Amino acid sequence: MNKITSYYRLKDNRLTELYRSLEISYPKFFKMDRLCKAGFLASEMVFRSLGEDPQSPKHDTALVFMNSSSSLDNDMDYQTTILPGNYYPSPALFVYTLANIVTGEVAIRNKIFGETSFYISSEFSAKELIITAEGAFDGKGIRRVLCGWTEYFKDACDVLVMMVEKDAAEGLDFTEKNINQIY
Amino acid sequence: MQRVVVTGCGIISALGQGLPATLDALMSHRPGIGPLRYLATAHSHLPCAEVPFSNAQMRSMLGIPEGAVTIRTALMGIIALGEALESAGWNTCRPERPVFISGTTVGGMDKSERFYNDFLTNNSRNDYIRAHDCGSCTQMIADYYGGFDMLSTLSTACSSAANAILTGADMIRTGRTSVAVVGGSECLTRFHLNGFNTLMILDKEPCRPFDDTRAGLNLGEGAAYLVLESAESAQKRGVKPLCLLAGCGNTCDAYHQTASSPTGEGAFLSMKKALAEAGLLPSDIDYINAHGTGTPNNDESEGTAIIRVFGENSVPPVSSTKSFTGHTTSASGSIEAVISILALLHNFTPVNLNFKEKMANLSFTPVTDNKPLRPLKHVLTNSFGFGGNDTSCIFTKI
Amino acid sequence: MEELILELKKQIIEALNLEEITPDDIDTNAPLFVEGLGLDSIDALELIVLMEKNYGIKLTDPGKSKEIFKSVATMAEYIQANRTK
Repeated sequence: MNKITSYYRLKDNRLTELYRSLEISYPKFFKMDRLCKAGFLASEMVFRSLGEDPQSPKHDTALVFMNSSSSLDNDMDYQTTILPGNYYPSPALFVYTLANIVTGEVAIRNKIFGETSFYISSEFSAKELIITAEGAFDGKGIRRVLCGWTEYFKDACDVLVMMVEKDAAEGLDFTEKNINQIY
Repeated sequence: MQRVVVTGCGIISALGQGLPATLDALMSHRPGIGPLRYLATAHSHLPCAEVPFSNAQMRSMLGIPEGAVTIRTALMGIIALGEALESAGWNTCRPERPVFISGTTVGGMDKSERFYNDFLTNNSRNDYIRAHDCGSCTQMIADYYGGFDMLSTLSTACSSAANAILTGADMIRTGRTSVAVVGGSECLTRFHLNGFNTLMILDKEPCRPFDDTRAGLNLGEGAAYLVLESAESAQKRGVKPLCLLAGCGNTCDAYHQTASSPTGEGAFLSMKKALAEAGLLPSDIDYINAHGTGTPNNDESEGTAIIRVFGENSVPPVSSTKSFTGHTTSASGSIEAVISILALLHNFTPVNLNFKEKMANLSFTPVTDNKPLRPLKHVLTNSFGFGGNDTSCIFTKI
Repeated sequence: MEELILELKKQIIEALNLEEITPDDIDTNAPLFVEGLGLDSIDALELIVLMEKNYGIKLTDPGKSKEIFKSVATMAEYIQANRTK
């Protein structure tokens, strides 16, 4: 049975405060858009509770996130830099107009070299989460997957990040019932 | 684990609509890169690779009435999907419970960027609000034909379509489905043309991948889909497979949001992973269809990774067909997979156009001759996305 | 010049989201890239946008920009000599 060995539910949009409370030094945090900040923080809490060193390379870990609004929260910010009459497209904002940069940021921070993927779904679905996350386990040396729902739009933060281990001895069973409960 | 075969494919790009047009352009060294004809932008001087049909023409090809809510990404997707399904004998013997997985980043943005002001000030274009989503785009493409058991949308930037292929293959290998139709579609928009321009990675001339003087990429658009099946399902349906999808690999470069690591770590790992899944040695690969965007960073990084995997003096023929199709972003993984399959079936190596000067740090130069060094049996294709998302797929002749 | 340097530091902090840094923290003559503030390639591009937006200076060659962006001092000198706003 695949088991959830750690998880973090983030609904609070005071991302900078949460970052400061973690007392880590990662100035790149401030360059991220809100989606990446939220995904980064929730992942940080998961790795922290597992007692893991961000610097140690992780080849056996995959990363699969999902959301419904993609990068729309940041896209809207980018849009304001390409208005006729005030046209200065921002490269830093453009970088974040892709949903999967959040998986990139978490991978950079935690040195994750396994499979990464990002799915779009109209709403949170524990069933789809299980299908996409367990897909990462299919015979490729992946022992565990950091997965979850990373939705951030217009100040509404709706994030659940979980570490799921393949055929683990301990932890919460990776089932729809349990996921819905923690969500 | 089930063997995964390809039983059909379809494509539309700057080279034209369908496999015959694509093959002809590749054989005749006729690129699709040129001035913009359909996208209204201030950057009309930038060479791009547009699909040579207006939206009105594509609607007409599909019998879609003028007043219908359509988005360019979906129109291209529907056309390519139709060819794929037809070639897989969809109507002669319909598979059971097929899955559709499509990659896109832009979705309906071609319309939403035009009607953004309307969205804010009046209700005349509200139908296009719902058409904006990546998921809606996938739905539009799938619903034109119907009959899919599950739809899924992937969005991992320039590796999206390749990851759709990988995901579909995984689902078949593990018995979750017996048929997966996979690929991606992406149209040009002002939004990302301006974005790439602001990252200063666009070439003002036609791109020259793997050339020492390369100065960036040309953006393109298009769509391509593959019908993947378990060998068992293909046999049951009485369809002859085009080739085998021998293996795929996806890894993360974990280096930077948009740049690739100097040692090409992610690319190195994804190619090794694909080889391992296929049970092949580097020396088995007969041709590599590189990601080869033509940016100083990618080609250096990918070139380095290729040498690390294949050995300095034993690199197989490599080319980037982005010199033909431009960089079709989210669709590039499947467009280039279809091109790789064409190469395999017709036994030729698509050339790397515009190449003149060898890159100082690489031991190899890209292919400029269609004639392969030896008959093609195994072809590898790379697709790398922002976020360090690197995917490699290997197709094998059967 | 002093005024320009202070203004520039504030603009850099805002444009590059350097939240934990004040103008006093930035050494006018220290390298901006690799060491010093440790800025990266995307930051360089944002600085190019900053030059155009705030000072009307269009930089089209990312390579040549390296010299201009060496430090706040070199940036200020270049702006002083070339600004159109």
